[in-house]
Amino acid sequence: MVQLESITKIFNRGRPDEFTALEGVSLLVEAVKVTVFKGPSGSGKTTLLGIIGCMAKPTAGRVYVDRQEITSLPERFLTHIRRRTFGFIFQQFHLIRGISAVENVMLPALTTGEPRAAIRRRALELLGQFGLSGKADSRVEWLSGGEAQRVAIARALVNRPSVVIADEPTAHLDTTLSRDFLAGMEILKAEGKTILIASHDPLVYGAALVDRVVEMRDGRIIDGAAA
Amino acid sequence: MTPARKSDAFGLLVLAGLVGLAIAFTHAEVRERLSGPGLREKAALVERLELTDLALFTDARYARHPSMADRHTPFQDGPLSMEHFPSGSLVLPPPHLRPR
Amino acid sequence: MSLVERHRNILDFAISSLARRWKKNLALLAVYTFTVFVLASVIFFTEAVKREARAVFQGAPEVVVQRLMAGRHDLVPQAYVEGLSRITGVREVRGRLWGYYYEPSTGANYTLVASGDPSVQPGTVAVGRGVARTLLAEKGDLLPLKGARGEYVSFEVARVFSSESELVSADLIEMHPEDLRGLFGMPEGFYTDITLKVRNPKEVTVVADKIRRLFPDTRPILRDEILRTYDSVFDWRSGLLLVIFAGAVTAFIIFAWDKATSLSLEERREMGVLKAVGWETSEVIAMKSWEGIVISLAAFLAGVLAAYLHVFVSSAALFEPVLKGWAVLYPRYDLVPHIDPYQILALFFLTVVPYTVATVVPSWNAATVDPDLIMRQ
Repeated sequence: MVQLESITKIFNRGRPDEFTALEGVSLLVEAVKVTVFKGPSGSGKTTLLGIIGCMAKPTAGRVYVDRQEITSLPERFLTHIRRRTFGFIFQQFHLIRGISAVENVMLPALTTGEPRAAIRRRALELLGQFGLSGKADSRVEWLSGGEAQRVAIARALVNRPSVVIADEPTAHLDTTLSRDFLAGMEILKAEGKTILIASHDPLVYGAALVDRVVEMRDGRIIDGAAA
Repeated sequence: MTPARKSDAFGLLVLAGLVGLAIAFTHAEVRERLSGPGLREKAALVERLELTDLALFTDARYARHPSMADRHTPFQDGPLSMEHFPSGSLVLPPPHLRPR
Repeated sequence: MSLVERHRNILDFAISSLARRWKKNLALLAVYTFTVFVLASVIFFTEAVKREARAVFQGAPEVVVQRLMAGRHDLVPQAYVEGLSRITGVREVRGRLWGYYYEPSTGANYTLVASGDPSVQPGTVAVGRGVARTLLAEKGDLLPLKGARGEYVSFEVARVFSSESELVSADLIEMHPEDLRGLFGMPEGFYTDITLKVRNPKEVTVVADKIRRLFPDTRPILRDEILRTYDSVFDWRSGLLLVIFAGAVTAFIIFAWDKATSLSLEERREMGVLKAVGWETSEVIAMKSWEGIVISLAAFLAGVLAAYLHVFVSSAALFEPVLKGWAVLYPRYDLVPHIDPYQILALFFLTVVPYTVATVVPSWNAATVDPDLIMRQ
């Protein structure tokens, strides 16, 4: 599915604040499995997710998505692959204020050339699946934290990606909402999606649906690299 | 039921603007065609009375007849006479007075 | 067709983006529209006046000969008329009798003309509508004018020039030559200036040279020069126009610059989100360009249409106080509408292109941000 070969990521290279976020990380992410990346903050989880999800290029090493090498692709092709393959749920949600929930969900699909009506239909369906049909036209800043997260999840799914990546999804949620989130992930797993989660929340990495836990520290995998 | 698209609304606005321009063009065309008699009347008066300038600026002489003015007329009142008529700041000396 | 779909979607988002910051964008739209309105109004007005003058002065005198003494216009003696008639190539030499009359009670300036036309009998005058309005005089009324020796002479208004002809006749008072001489105290054998025709119009500059050589204290003015006066009467270098232009353009630049260079934090954030959810850099820039185009196009169309209505339907109502200046008398006229497509196109490119560029260039930085940056925020 996604294969990482000796990935190294160095920020601010050559400058006094040079920082190595990842060093020599090799990993095979299996399809239709839930993988949780566990580790303290600063361990490189977020950076790794970014590289897996084609959001950033590594300083060294290679990334293969479905056996296709993507590290040397130009930005345009990378963005296209990312759009098709990955759906991101950010820790801060990063929804656009001032527009409605459904418009937020439609956002990633707007530039794919698909007719707007079709995108909107799918967006409304997704919001329905998460019980937000009534709030579809509400502005996102009026939604509660849990509702906002569900909008963020729906947005991540609008392009029908095969991989869902979530970064610290339960950080702002209480136990009930966290469990709701995990239930949502279970449904997605049942639909055949691959799920990657970065979290230091025991509720997440200890959950039943998790197939594999990869432990990281200081930019290296210290446990769980082998399947 | 999809709500009205903003891009469609904008498209309509632009269309309305272009239609407005088209109407303006047509209006101008029509008025131009009808302007014949009026222009001929003025031209006839110009010929009969040997007129040389439009009666637009009646506050100063060199502004009333700019084509007849020479470099001195603004200074008729005095050699250090500063420009004090508003028309003077509006009307340029005619081309035949300006250096080539 | 997916290209069209893509851009329609991007345009939708661009408009919603503008709407989210509607106060600032509305102010921008207002300033932009106003700038276009002022520039287009001036273009329409000056073009229309030029065309009117061109059409109307085709029959102006071919050559006008003025005489200067001590740097001032002086009367031309009869001898000059005879002398000019003897120049080869010259025909129909006529003395013109005209002058300015200032009326202290109203503060108005009139142009007195004598034509020798039998339609104006001694003791009567034909007046322009502007004169009639200023003096509240109609046909049959008596018009008192003060002569050079302080005496008041009354003239009967035999005719009022038509309202159609106001642009050339508004301030005219046509009278009999004897009356004019008497009023101004102009002695017999002298004229205000001289007009003449040439046998061969192509030779007119040669004739003008001959006139200057024969009478060095004269100044011949050619019909072509009269026509070209009005081609450039409202040149942008004329003081007031320059001020108007500069004012409008400066306001526009200030606003556009401020808007374009200060991408708000919110806007930057939004562009980051777009990159993060899968928009390419080029698509984010396209979105910003559409923002610029929407404002530009709306402002341009509104400004030009408003300018057309202003100049040709309300007869340049806003320019009237400026054009009138201190004049008491001002003609009522309807300019013949004319739109020069090249000028409008030029105005379009001079406003829409710089504005769109000013919107896009500062967005470049924000648009090229790495998508994963948003993950670490």
